[in-house]
Amino acid sequence: MASRKEGTGSTATSSSSTTGAAGKGKGKGSSGDSAVKQVQIDGLVVLKIIKHYQEEGQGTEVVQGVLLGLVVEDRLEITNCFPFPQHTEDDADFDEVQYQMEMMRSLRHVNIDHLHVGWYQSTYYGSFVTRALLDSQFSYQHAIEESVVLIYDPIKTAQGSLSLKAYRLTPKLMEVCKEKDFSPEALKKANITFEHMFEEVPIVIKNSHLINVLMWELEKKSAVADKHELLSLASSNHLGKNLQLLMDRVDDMSQDIVKYNTYMRNTSKQQQQKHQYQQRRQQENMQRQSRGEPPLPEEDLSKLFKPLQPPARMDSLLIAGQINTYCQNIKEFTAQNLGKLFMAQALQEYNN
Amino acid sequence: MSRFFTTGSDSESESSLSGEELVTKPVGGNYGKQPLLLSEDEEDTKRVVRSAKDKRFEELTNLIRTIRNAMKIRDVTKCLEEFELLGKAYGKAKSIVDKEGVPRFYIRILADLEDYLNELWEDKEGKKKMNKNNAKALSTLRQKIRKYNRDFESHITSYKQNPEQSADEDAEKNEEDSEGSSDEDEDEDGVSAAAFLKKKSEAPSGESRKFLKKMEDEDEDSEDSEDDEDWDTGSTSSDSDSEEEEGKQTALASRFLKKAPTTEEDKKAAEKKREDKAKKKHDRKSKRLDEEEEDNEGGEWERVRGGVPLVKEKPKMFAKGTEITHAVVIKKLNEILQARGKKGTDRAAQIELLQLLVQIASENNLGEGVIVKIKFNIIASLYDYNPNLATYMKPEMWQKCLDCINELMDILFANPNIFVGENILEESENLQNVDQPLRVRGCILTLVERMDEEFTKIMQNTDPHSQEYVEHLKDEAQVCAIIERVQRYLEEKGTTEEICRIYLRRILHTYYKFDYKAHQRQLTPPEGSSKSEQDQAENEGEDSAVLMERLCKYIYAKDRTDRIRTCAILCHIYHHALHSRWYQARDLMLMSHLQDNIQHADPPVQILYNRTMVQLGICAFRQGLTKDAHNALLDIQSSGRAKELLGQGLLLRSLQERNQEQEKVERRRQVPFHLHINLELLECVYLVSAMLLEIPYMAAHESDARRRMISKQFHHQLRVGERQPLLGPPESMREHVVAASKAMKMGDWKTCHSFIINEKMNGKVWDLFPEADKVRTMLVRKIQEESLRTYLFTYSSVYDSISMETLSDMFELDLPTVHSIISKMIINEELMASLDQPTQTVVMHRTEPTAQQNLALQLAEKLGSLVENNERVFDHKQGTYGGYFRDQKDGYRKNEGYMRRGGYRQQQSQTAY
Repeated sequence: MASRKEGTGSTATSSSSTTGAAGKGKGKGSSGDSAVKQVQIDGLVVLKIIKHYQEEGQGTEVVQGVLLGLVVEDRLEITNCFPFPQHTEDDADFDEVQYQMEMMRSLRHVNIDHLHVGWYQSTYYGSFVTRALLDSQFSYQHAIEESVVLIYDPIKTAQGSLSLKAYRLTPKLMEVCKEKDFSPEALKKANITFEHMFEEVPIVIKNSHLINVLMWELEKKSAVADKHELLSLASSNHLGKNLQLLMDRVDDMSQDIVKYNTYMRNTSKQQQQKHQYQQRRQQENMQRQSRGEPPLPEEDLSKLFKPLQPPARMDSLLIAGQINTYCQNIKEFTAQNLGKLFMAQALQEYNN
Repeated sequence: MSRFFTTGSDSESESSLSGEELVTKPVGGNYGKQPLLLSEDEEDTKRVVRSAKDKRFEELTNLIRTIRNAMKIRDVTKCLEEFELLGKAYGKAKSIVDKEGVPRFYIRILADLEDYLNELWEDKEGKKKMNKNNAKALSTLRQKIRKYNRDFESHITSYKQNPEQSADEDAEKNEEDSEGSSDEDEDEDGVSAAAFLKKKSEAPSGESRKFLKKMEDEDEDSEDSEDDEDWDTGSTSSDSDSEEEEGKQTALASRFLKKAPTTEEDKKAAEKKREDKAKKKHDRKSKRLDEEEEDNEGGEWERVRGGVPLVKEKPKMFAKGTEITHAVVIKKLNEILQARGKKGTDRAAQIELLQLLVQIASENNLGEGVIVKIKFNIIASLYDYNPNLATYMKPEMWQKCLDCINELMDILFANPNIFVGENILEESENLQNVDQPLRVRGCILTLVERMDEEFTKIMQNTDPHSQEYVEHLKDEAQVCAIIERVQRYLEEKGTTEEICRIYLRRILHTYYKFDYKAHQRQLTPPEGSSKSEQDQAENEGEDSAVLMERLCKYIYAKDRTDRIRTCAILCHIYHHALHSRWYQARDLMLMSHLQDNIQHADPPVQILYNRTMVQLGICAFRQGLTKDAHNALLDIQSSGRAKELLGQGLLLRSLQERNQEQEKVERRRQVPFHLHINLELLECVYLVSAMLLEIPYMAAHESDARRRMISKQFHHQLRVGERQPLLGPPESMREHVVAASKAMKMGDWKTCHSFIINEKMNGKVWDLFPEADKVRTMLVRKIQEESLRTYLFTYSSVYDSISMETLSDMFELDLPTVHSIISKMIINEELMASLDQPTQTVVMHRTEPTAQQNLALQLAEKLGSLVENNERVFDHKQGTYGGYFRDQKDGYRKNEGYMRRGGYRQQQSQTAY
């Protein structure tokens, strides 16, 4: 698969067709001051990530690793990577930082780029927009400004098109995360919506010329037989899974909204009470005035009516973002499949 | 003698007793009291009261002493504590006090304490010096005692008028105390003897004065008579000591003479007493002639040592030449019984004594009344043999007990003129007068119930897998026989209540047994069997079903305690279920409404209820009613504590949670092994019924998100099966069921069948049923039917049409059955299809949405609610006119529901693509 990818050209961008373009456009529009405008990945890194998942990832399990490279002008070059070991229960005292440092030091000894420029993660049907990812990417980006997260989708890749995407948090989201204030007002002020949480950075896969030559040569020799996955008409399984996941998220969203609804109702109720109280107090004061007594002192209303804790909106943003991703996935998938179906139909008619 | 003297001498006797025990230890601890027992010659009832009184009073005096000590050192806190204890002790002694009047020493301490406290209270200086605790205690105690003394006002005033005499007493008391303590040291006879003598010399003077004061209590007019009475009531061993010691004086004889003419009974008693005494003296003389000249205390010691030979000579219960009469024997019996329940009494010896007594009684032809009475007591003492509730009878004891009860029953049957009953008072007993019906106190029913409990206990405590258990189990027939005899006896003479109780016992011994004879009879048609066989069968007794019916009906009609009726109903249901009379059992269960309030019953009844429910479920399963079986077993099985709920063993898991006490209680509730319901059978029945229900259901609702589980436990087993990394051939029963379920899921009934019914499963489960073959055929049939249903659910989307004949071939069911199953599915709207009669095919309508379509529909629904919720948020921002929107929305949603039925295709294409 990778070879085929390579075959199409050394500077091919990621396969994301519609999303990629949309994300790119937005990324470019909003990240004028962003440190990184392009990510250039070595073929080695791509293969290493794929291999890592192939060997250790299974089903919903997620594999992660560190990206190494360097920044050249506004381009981030990722030249190497290494995986994180899989977590198990019995090595709870495993020191990740220590491990990373050790690894980087060892790599440096063999003259490999040792600059930490981000991390990668596999995903299961595109469900990567989570709180954990947000938090860790924030801490990365906070520490190393130009770091990115590479999301590798093994399932899509298995279907015939390499899916590797680089994401960065938008500066706006960085601000919000720094403030650690996820109340509705703060998010409103920051003008954050689910579309503006992550920016996708365009990816370029680069190989050395020698490798390219080898690729061309191999292309000629390889049989055509292993290309049929791309044309597979079976869609139900993938679509079903996607729908299931989408449904779960919609459920979450519903719950979140219900929560928010209750909050709204409670606040308005409290507001009403506050209002009533004020009116009563005013009336009383008026009466007192008419009787010639001193008015009652103004009391601290916020003490009487403690402001309700507004529910954090970050989760709902993330869910919305995730739903968005799922929708894009499904849209993409169905569009491709419809194309395939039409093609199959046409072929059948032609044969008949 | 004076009242206080008796108490005093009692304390002395106590100490001497303890000394005695110490001395006799080398001879053999338990026998130490035997001689006392034999020499005891006071009346039983009075004696008991007396000793209780002494015990209480001693407690009081001890407390009083500590209070006085505390008063001396001005420790008010201690005073308060002790006073509270005293109040409690007094409360305990209340019944005695009611009989005897308030003891003077008690009044005295109350009065003194009050005075003392008042004094302290007045003493301002002293109060200031007192530490905080003491001051606090002082005020509390003062209030308390004021309140308390209000009840004793009259006594206290009378005491205050004459404190002197009490003080006198006080001095004596102190002396006694010191004497008691020195006695406890039990090293110097001389001192205690001296004290004793001194006390004696003091007593008359104090007593005569006190006697005048005590007019309201005692109406005697001469010292002698009072003495006599005191002697009569005072019954502790020391009294007999004092009596003995005085026996050397002439006073004794006169006392006896004076006492004698009161009643006939007393006369006899006195005679016997004298005889006893004579015998004892004789004994002593012969044994210890050299010690004859020793003083009183010495005599006492001597007697103790005399215990050894006495035990040896036990057979000689009565002195030679004594005329053995009813009264004498009864006296003896009472004597023996007095020792009952006392510490240090040798129970085995007691039983032997009683048996001897029976022998003597029967040798002397004393009549059945006496024998019955003694027998009652023998059985009671057999039960008493084990002081611990948890331990069980030894086999020989048990055998003895059974024999004894049998003999007793023989006598009772042989002599219909003997009346036995709990309600017959000791006084109104008639043991000898043959002209009138004999009346004996004692309850045969209670004895038999106790016997039954003992039997259960023995069974509980025997290892169920040993030969021993089988041996014990053989006794069950005997127990049943006894119960039957008692039942016959009570049917003639007992009250309805008693009959109910014995009936319940009978039922409890019948309900769990499968009546093979009746079963056989049922199987072989009457004309097939020869007449003689039939007669024989009839002779052997009625069907247990008829028996149960009769007994239970009687209880239903006559019983007034709820518990017996509940138990009877449950047993009845159990019995019905055991014999596969499902509908009777179910109806009885439903009519009794036991399900509603069984949680208020006591644990044993609840266990019985659980057992009954389980049996009911198994019965339903045998009848092929899987759903009923599943429902009946659900409660027991889903908890995962079937073992505990059925009283068939304790769970290890909760072992840490309960303490020893609880564990003991739970252990006692366990059902004996021969009543156990096989847990594996139970679980298998449950799982198989769950499989037969759940697999088709799962197939029918494959893609339904809101599918609920019918049986959680079954799903759990499936999941466990799935988690296995390597699937070998099934070993355990569960694995078999899981494997069968998997096969059934695919509609592969043959594999399913081979997993459920094979050698292993036969051995483990199916052969345990009385009609195993019938059950197996039923099971095969069920598997075929449910597999067919599952197959249709799972693969209907693949077929456009399917021939019923093919189906009938596939599942080896005949065509009408297939037809009926499919028709039923179509009617229940489980299968979207129609039957084409001429070609005998099922034509699928293909209206069931595919998995994706289903998902899309669900998603649409969810999105609908999401939008609705979202709009509600919007409403909040907009203000009040949200109601309008909401109404509209509901209409929309209804519409949507409508669309789902008819035009799902359109909708699906909108959402999925």
